[in-house]
Amino acid sequence: MSELAPPPLEAVERQNRFVSENLRRIFVQIYRIVGNTADAQDLTQEAFIKALQRQEQLKDEEKATHWLSRIATNTAIDFLRRHGRVTHCEMDAQTESPQESPEDLLLRSEHRDYLEDGLRLLTARERAALMLRDVEGCSAEEVAKQLDCSKATVRSHIANARIKLRRYMAGRKR
Amino acid sequence: MSKHPSEANLALFAGGELSLWRRWGVKRHVAECAACRDAVDEFLALREQASGMAELPDVAWDSMAAEMRANIRLGLEAGECVTERSSPRHLGFSLRGVAACASLAMLLVVSFLIERPAPRVAELKTDDAAVIETSGSGIQVMEGGRSLMLLNAHAHTVDYQASGSAMGARYVDSDTGQVTINNVYVQ
Repeated sequence: MSELAPPPLEAVERQNRFVSENLRRIFVQIYRIVGNTADAQDLTQEAFIKALQRQEQLKDEEKATHWLSRIATNTAIDFLRRHGRVTHCEMDAQTESPQESPEDLLLRSEHRDYLEDGLRLLTARERAALMLRDVEGCSAEEVAKQLDCSKATVRSHIANARIKLRRYMAGRKR
Repeated sequence: MSKHPSEANLALFAGGELSLWRRWGVKRHVAECAACRDAVDEFLALREQASGMAELPDVAWDSMAAEMRANIRLGLEAGECVTERSSPRHLGFSLRGVAACASLAMLLVVSFLIERPAPRVAELKTDDAAVIETSGSGIQVMEGGRSLMLLNAHAHTVDYQASGSAMGARYVDSDTGQVTINNVYVQ
């Protein structure tokens, strides 16, 4: 059996640079969809491996970034579909702001907990659409591209997600 | 006051996803309807809360990133090995597949030849309107309302040949094993 030729150093360096430049962004993106760091870590690795195995797609840097985001979103959605769950085990970590009083912090923490509970009610695609739109600030067109669906479908996912969350929050208040 | 917009439209209005025309209609309604205004405010509050989720959880990012980078590199290298080594296996598999397909095709051809049904009726029309008919039980010549028939009720296997103005039948008697050959010529 012939020895495998190692990938050229230049290619490895390019890959490493691509990973470093996008790692945090992709991790956060996946984390927002799956809701916990352990799964987000695994899925981030999976998304990068999938992307880098098709290096011909990475020639155009701007397209590569979009393409990677799309792979990341789909990887996270597939994961949620397979496992049918969203778990939030480490979301209680707080970023403290010096202006916030302990009461404010507590209130914010409570709201966040409610929101996380409410997010469990959403389907994988509703959750992904909501996160991309409301958390990442993507336009409806961008969300549609990432989810590989029409703008009308994205609007429907977003509206459903917001309605479910609103009803859930209203139920909690009662 | 105009008709209440749907909850979905209020949700999309809060996020700025409605088309210009619809947005204008909802905006006008919301300005004069307290209930819908409250709903929009709730959707806006939800959006604001959701945006707070953009924060990265409190994790040791540097070590986690280093671990992920190492795992990605490992995964890529493993992937290259699998891709490289799987090529001959693919070839082996396809050769086996071709061999299996060829065997199957040969089997089908042979079984077709063995089970090929004898022609139930074969007709040979000659210029002077004589008709020769063959069937599993015999051969028959018809001309001008007259007919001549050669039958073999015990025929085991019947082979027919037709050429020009003649037809032949070859029978094997299933009881005796005797072979009978009949040739009929039209004149």
